[in-house]
Parts: sequence; C-alpha cells; structure tokens
Amino acid sequence: MTVVGRVADFPEGTHRVVEVDGRSVGVFNIGGRFYGLLNRCAHQGGPLCEARSTTGTLVSDGWRLEWAHEGEIIACPWHGLEYHVPTGQCLAFSHIRVRTYEVTVVGDDVVVTPASSRRPPAASDR
Amino acid sequence: MPGRVPLGELLIVDTDVHVHESPGALAPYCDPPWDVALRAVADVPERYLDIPGFSPGGDGTLTARFPTSHEATRMVHSPEQMVSELREIDVDLALLFPDHLLKIAVLPQADYAAALARAYNAWLIEEWTSRHPSLLAAIVACPQDPADAAREIERHAGDAAAVYLPCAGLDPLWGDRRYDPIYDAAQNAGLPVLLHAVTVTSPVFPFNNHGFDTEFARHSTSHTFSIMANVISMVSTGVVVRFPELKIGVTEAGISWMPFVCNRLDKEYVERRREVPFLTERPSHYVKRMYVATQPIEEPERLRDIVTLIELFDGQDTTMYASDWPHHDFDHPVKLDQVPLGDELRRKVFGENALTLFGIDRDGRRARR
Repeated sequence: MTVVGRVADFPEGTHRVVEVDGRSVGVFNIGGRFYGLLNRCAHQGGPLCEARSTTGTLVSDGWRLEWAHEGEIIACPWHGLEYHVPTGQCLAFSHIRVRTYEVTVVGDDVVVTPASSRRPPAASDR
Repeated sequence: MPGRVPLGELLIVDTDVHVHESPGALAPYCDPPWDVALRAVADVPERYLDIPGFSPGGDGTLTARFPTSHEATRMVHSPEQMVSELREIDVDLALLFPDHLLKIAVLPQADYAAALARAYNAWLIEEWTSRHPSLLAAIVACPQDPADAAREIERHAGDAAAVYLPCAGLDPLWGDRRYDPIYDAAQNAGLPVLLHAVTVTSPVFPFNNHGFDTEFARHSTSHTFSIMANVISMVSTGVVVRFPELKIGVTEAGISWMPFVCNRLDKEYVERRREVPFLTERPSHYVKRMYVATQPIEEPERLRDIVTLIELFDGQDTTMYASDWPHHDFDHPVKLDQVPLGDELRRKVFGENALTLFGIDRDGRRARR
C-alpha cells in the first residue's frame, strides 16, 4: 500500500500521475470515486495518464451516435487510443486492457494498492 | 530481442519531422509585398495548421469536434526544442519538413507561393540547420513557379539535404513536364526529391475526398492516394527516364501500397506499353528504385507481415525510418523495432538507407561531389 497524497490533492474531475513501487500510475477522481491506471499505453508505450483531462466519448446505439462515459475516458496524448479509466478497457481493441490499481481513501490519505492481478495482454507483447 | 544493439546505440536517421513556421517568423525573410501579408496574419489566433491566407483549411476542420485528451496539435517551435525531443526518441539525424507549408500547393497566387517558399528555405537554413548539424534541410520546391524553385535549389545546393515536393492540392501531378526544371536542378545538385502530402479537401485529384463522411476515411486515404497518384504520374510521364540520376523518395504513406503499385503498373504495361514506350524496363523497376519512408508504419497483427511487405517491393535498400514528429500520428522507433527485421535490415532501415539517399555520413555531412 502506498500513500500517494491527501484527498484534497485530487479534486473531483482531476487526476495526477504518481509513483507506486517504481511504476508510474495515474490516480483519477471521477465523481468522487478513485481509480488507478498504469501510465503506459499498450500501443507505443506513450504516457497515457499524462493526458490533460478525462472526457466522454462517442459510442453507438445501433446507428445513432451517443456521447457517453462523461469524465471516464482517457485518450493517450501520443496517438489518441482511448481507454475506460474505471476498468482499464481499451475502446478500440477488446483484447487490450491496461492494468488498474485499487485506490482507497483512508482517513485523509489516498492509498494505492499495487495490483496483484495477472497483467492483461498488451498489443506490444504479441 | 536479445543480443541486439539497443536503439540508443543504433544510428537512427529520421526522414520526416516537422518544424513550426509561423507567418511572423517568416516575414523578415520574405520579399515585398508579401511580407506585409504575413505580418497581417502574424497575430491571428492559430487553429492547428490552419491560418487564413497562409495555410487555409485542412486536417479535421470539416468534422464535428468533441473533447479529447489526445494531444493532436503538438508543434516544435525552435531547433533546440527539436534536438531535445528527438534525443528523447533516440534519433541522431533528422530531415526537416514544414508544418503550414505542407499546404503551399493549394495557394492560388503563384508569386505569393514562390515568395513563401524562398522565405521558408532561407529561414530554415539560417535559423535551424546551419546551427545544428543533426538537423537536415528539405528545401521546398514551389510547384506554382518551377523556374523559381529551380533557382532555389541552385541557391541552396550546398546547404540542403533534399528537395521537398508538396503534394496536397497539387495540380497537375508531379509527372507533368512543367516541373522538369525542378528535377533538372535537383539532379545537377545531387539532391534527392521527397514527396510529402497532407490531408486537405480540394477539387484536385486525389484530394476530392468530400464524398467521405469522416476524417477517419479522409485521413486514411489522403497521403497514400496522393503518393500513389504522384508515383504513377512520375513513371507514366517518364520523369524517371528523363532524370536517370535523380533520387526520389516518398513520405507519410506507409509501405503497404508499394507492392500494389508495382504489380498493377506491370500488369497494365503488358497491354498499354505503347503509351509509355520510353520506359526501357518494366514499370516496377522504376518504382522500386524510389525510397520509401515507413511512417505511418502499418500495424498488422502479425508483425512479420511488415518484413514480407518490404520483400514484396525489394525494399531492403530503399525503406527508411521516419517518425513524423511531432504530429498526431508519429511513430516512435520502438514501434518499428517490434518488427523482426533482422540485424542487417534493421541497420539499413533505421539509418543506412537514408545516408545513401542523402549522400551524407553518420554526422550528417554531405560527401564532396
């Protein structure tokens, strides 16, 4: 467990990149809930979580486009590959998921738990 | 892959990076009266590569804009910034292309376009390449004024590494005989010509892409269709025969179209040789002599397919790495380095083929001719 800051350091709708056990991790406050995402895009290794801010994105309901997932999408600053922050799921490629980290609030501290789950496959591994 | 030279120790020549030339920066280098026009737009709030009267229209300006964190508008404003950022991606030498002047061919005023080209070339050499030996100049050839472009090539022959042939909105295509003075000058100067396009929507083939709904479709086709059209044009009008010593390279179109063009032209040649009787070899012979920059390198599920693609156009000695830094679709060297090229092909593609094309040594110095 790594304390990465105080709650006040992560206002709602913002995120910061922190270091957890030698790894660069993005910590996001989305609607009052905290999420952690490895700061490395599976495409070309870009600094995924250094993107300025999360947004929504376009999804389709049949042939109608809808703006959805407001505040939950991060697009890599390098090439724009999109991920759903709460799950680490890549929107363009279903087989790609970036590692997520459990983030909890303990008292006034924001605490990241290093992932123990199996690392999901990345495009660059194939 | 174990046992390989790390990227940081490999010679990497980047055959396509972009400097940001603002109208205000070019104004002091620009002949009157056009310098006045540049100063008049110097303070116009800049949308990405889209300034009225300078670089009108362009990439992504037709489709609806939604918020995104993709930093699609990166720019490099100074040679120090360029050297520093290229060092980050292990690039040793880099050929500089413009940002806004990617669209110079769409400008309708020939005298203005020629003045812009002269100003850019002087600015690029004075402020960028003469001060930083790792930065190489691709001087722009203004297609609207081929005679002036030829004079520019003669003027800068000793300082440039290549001649940039703009393709976006170009009319007619680069095979037209009106451009022969440019090729003659480049051949005499021992400078290669490199074609470079960008996405625009214009009535000019193959940029008449208004039929597409999305930037996804327009950007998928604009660079590649333009390069294919110009390569076919240069072969079918005999540029490749009239200027046998001229070295030709193409950029920002990937590589997967090369086998198609080679095979398609050879097939048509069987039936229509009489239209191109000046070709003494099959058409693919000339296409295969052209140098091809990798970016945007295809990303097939089987990375070995990239090696196969190179084999299909005999591109072992003509395929060259390019990043397209700092643009939205740049290729980091690690992307190409995931391809199982083998040690020799890896060295050639990342650096040695480009040294041959530009006639330079590993420090960027041109061999005496």
